[in-house]
Amino acid sequence: MKYNQDQLKNALSPEFVLGTLSGRARLRYQRLLMEHKELQKNVWQWESKLNELGTVMTPQQPDARVWRAIEKRLGFIEKNEDNTEPWWHHLWTPGFALASIFMLVTAWLLMTQKQLPIELPAERVAVVQNSNAEALWLIEVQTQNLRIHATDKLPPLNDQDYQLWMIAKDGRPPIPLGLLPQNGMKEIPRSILFNQLDIAALAVSIEPLGGSPNGQPTTVLFTTELVQI
Amino acid sequence: MNTSIHLKLLSAVALGDRKAFDTLYQDTSAQLYAVSLKLLKHKDLAEDALQDAFVSIWHKAAEYQKDRGTVLTWMVSIVRYRALDILRANNVRKERQFQTRPNLNEPRVKQTPHVYFMQSRDRAKIDDCLDELDPTQADAISLAYFRGYTHKEVCQYMSSPLGTVKSWIRRGLHSLRGCLGL
Repeated sequence: MKYNQDQLKNALSPEFVLGTLSGRARLRYQRLLMEHKELQKNVWQWESKLNELGTVMTPQQPDARVWRAIEKRLGFIEKNEDNTEPWWHHLWTPGFALASIFMLVTAWLLMTQKQLPIELPAERVAVVQNSNAEALWLIEVQTQNLRIHATDKLPPLNDQDYQLWMIAKDGRPPIPLGLLPQNGMKEIPRSILFNQLDIAALAVSIEPLGGSPNGQPTTVLFTTELVQI
Repeated sequence: MNTSIHLKLLSAVALGDRKAFDTLYQDTSAQLYAVSLKLLKHKDLAEDALQDAFVSIWHKAAEYQKDRGTVLTWMVSIVRYRALDILRANNVRKERQFQTRPNLNEPRVKQTPHVYFMQSRDRAKIDDCLDELDPTQADAISLAYFRGYTHKEVCQYMSSPLGTVKSWIRRGLHSLRGCLGL
């Protein structure tokens, strides 16, 4: 964008909050908000003012089923017996466990044979593979960061991003961890949830630029299991 | 329930207190649902947005800062963005006809959108600033805020060229910025 930051703040922040900034322009602005604290603060100011309008509307009581659905999604109550569980609830099957052994071997081979530079010891690793069993990313869980190496097998995307997700065993919805590199190496901060949750798997989705627009994976491409080393 | 109680509840939610979350839901869900329903019109979609918003609130409670306004405005932001996402993603507009919406320009009503939306709610502080805007600017901003209309939809509704509508919204927001001291 050719705007300077004042122009962005003054012109685009309120339209972002109002919702009239849409499509690709909205995604580009979302990305800028992640990079520029000043812009983010300006958006917060607009949210706090414009959304007063939402606090004075005549309340409408939602159906009781909404709260029950929230409790289920957050794992507060047992899921019912229906078979409509989401895809991430079926990731820790025996077949998946076998696959994890293969992942461990692959990870080990990648780390030793290719002599990847490792500055800090990784606690856990995962290898994301395509359907031809070609490694696309090596993910090392370190004490502070996730260190992620993209391989040359990865098909580059021009207008989309790959996003990494944590799948918890408690059945909660996938937790976004960050955007994956399309080449080279990238470090992303390690979520505190790595210490708090039992992790069933990691998943990779394909998303619009900047990541998932709604906080959940759009299209899941790959899943893999973390293995202890 | 006042702002400081919401803040105490949200702080407890950030530490994983389910009872506090339940209380916060009981106290705010009707307000958030009103926002969602106003934008989405469809009960099921509005409930989906509300559900997503509260799941998000549970996960993001620790991210709240006072810089982001009151707890309630912060929560309204979350549900409103979610409702807008659903609105755009489901292309709900294509399923709905203009006739199903309140026809704000009917001669017998003689109300502008800004006045119409004012009548269905209490007065907010920002209304002092909205009142100072040119009426067409206030109407365009009200349609975008309460109905989630895009520029094109506002121009269709107000029977005005796209450039004019964009200019109304841009200038209206510029005036609001001055009035609100942002």
